[in-house]
Amino acid sequence: MAGLLVVLVLISIQPFTATSQTPATLQPGFGQAIAALHRAESAGATSTETAELVALLNKALELNGEALKMSAPEQAQKRADLLAQVDQILTTVQNRAAQLTIVASHRSSANRILTYMFGAVAAVLGTIVLAFAVSFHQRYRIKRTFQMRVTRK
Amino acid sequence: MRFTSFQNWRTVIAVFITLLIICEMVAYVATTPRPSEQFFQLYVLGANHMAADYYPNNNTDIHAGEPITWYLGVTDNMGTVQLVSIRVKTSNETIKPPDDQKAIESPAPVLTELTRFIQDNETWETPFVWSISDAVSSGNSTRVLTVEINNGTYQVQDWSASRGHNFRFIFELWTWQTEGNAFEFGWTTNSERRVAWLQVWFNMTIPTLALD
Repeated sequence: MAGLLVVLVLISIQPFTATSQTPATLQPGFGQAIAALHRAESAGATSTETAELVALLNKALELNGEALKMSAPEQAQKRADLLAQVDQILTTVQNRAAQLTIVASHRSSANRILTYMFGAVAAVLGTIVLAFAVSFHQRYRIKRTFQMRVTRK
Repeated sequence: MRFTSFQNWRTVIAVFITLLIICEMVAYVATTPRPSEQFFQLYVLGANHMAADYYPNNNTDIHAGEPITWYLGVTDNMGTVQLVSIRVKTSNETIKPPDDQKAIESPAPVLTELTRFIQDNETWETPFVWSISDAVSSGNSTRVLTVEINNGTYQVQDWSASRGHNFRFIFELWTWQTEGNAFEFGWTTNSERRVAWLQVWFNMTIPTLALD
């Protein structure tokens, strides 16, 4: 049992070997996931909201990299499991990004409407203040006129 | 001002419309994102996280098995999440470097690539620990056979240099283009293609053995 454990440990710490390579093509799911994230960001999702999805995507990249290193036939099952996990993560990211797009879009629209409404309210208040200010100024001038004394020079 | 007067009401309406236009313009400016310059930064630092000490004892003549630590970094200033890849290429003084003007990558072979999703304004830094584990010298040429990078062993094809001088690593920044669904060298901003790449030179000399 101990011997088996030692062998397993040695296998797990053995560095991988690769020849100089042509860059690996990513699964289409990665492209779809980043497109979904871009849609969420365009809708107004903040970097705090997308941070969790980015962390998931980096996890998927790591698993994808590990799977690509497993080229031996005896590692086929492990490789398939890892790629299945990658697919699952990518699906999760796409679904969450779609939800985020809806939420962020609604929030952005509400914020925009609210800001324009504040503009209209500010214009009304400004007009009232200005009208009363002019009115008070005129009353003050009339009052000063009546308070004037006519003196002979 | 008396509000019962038609003349004054007209003034009030004119003032209101003027203020409304001004306030809505302010609202438009506040809700419209301002265009900013979109770019990436790519850097390589030495063992002490500085643009110095790239080699042990600042000696660019390295030996087989000597581990060298660099740090590769990318900063995303594109305004969105980006998928980036740093392609590590092996080159010497005869292979062409990337072309900045035409945005063409170097024809040097890719040794490995480091890929990552990064957020806007985020800097991704990763260690790049490498050593040449096997090299041979034949005639005036030194040929690198195996390189270790971050615990991975890479067998290299056709990486040689005359007298072992002027080997170089080329680091190219590639970004994922959602339109083309593929990585492309550099990035596009304002319909203009931009690229970022770095190269670090070194010598690898093997002491010739005296044959009896």
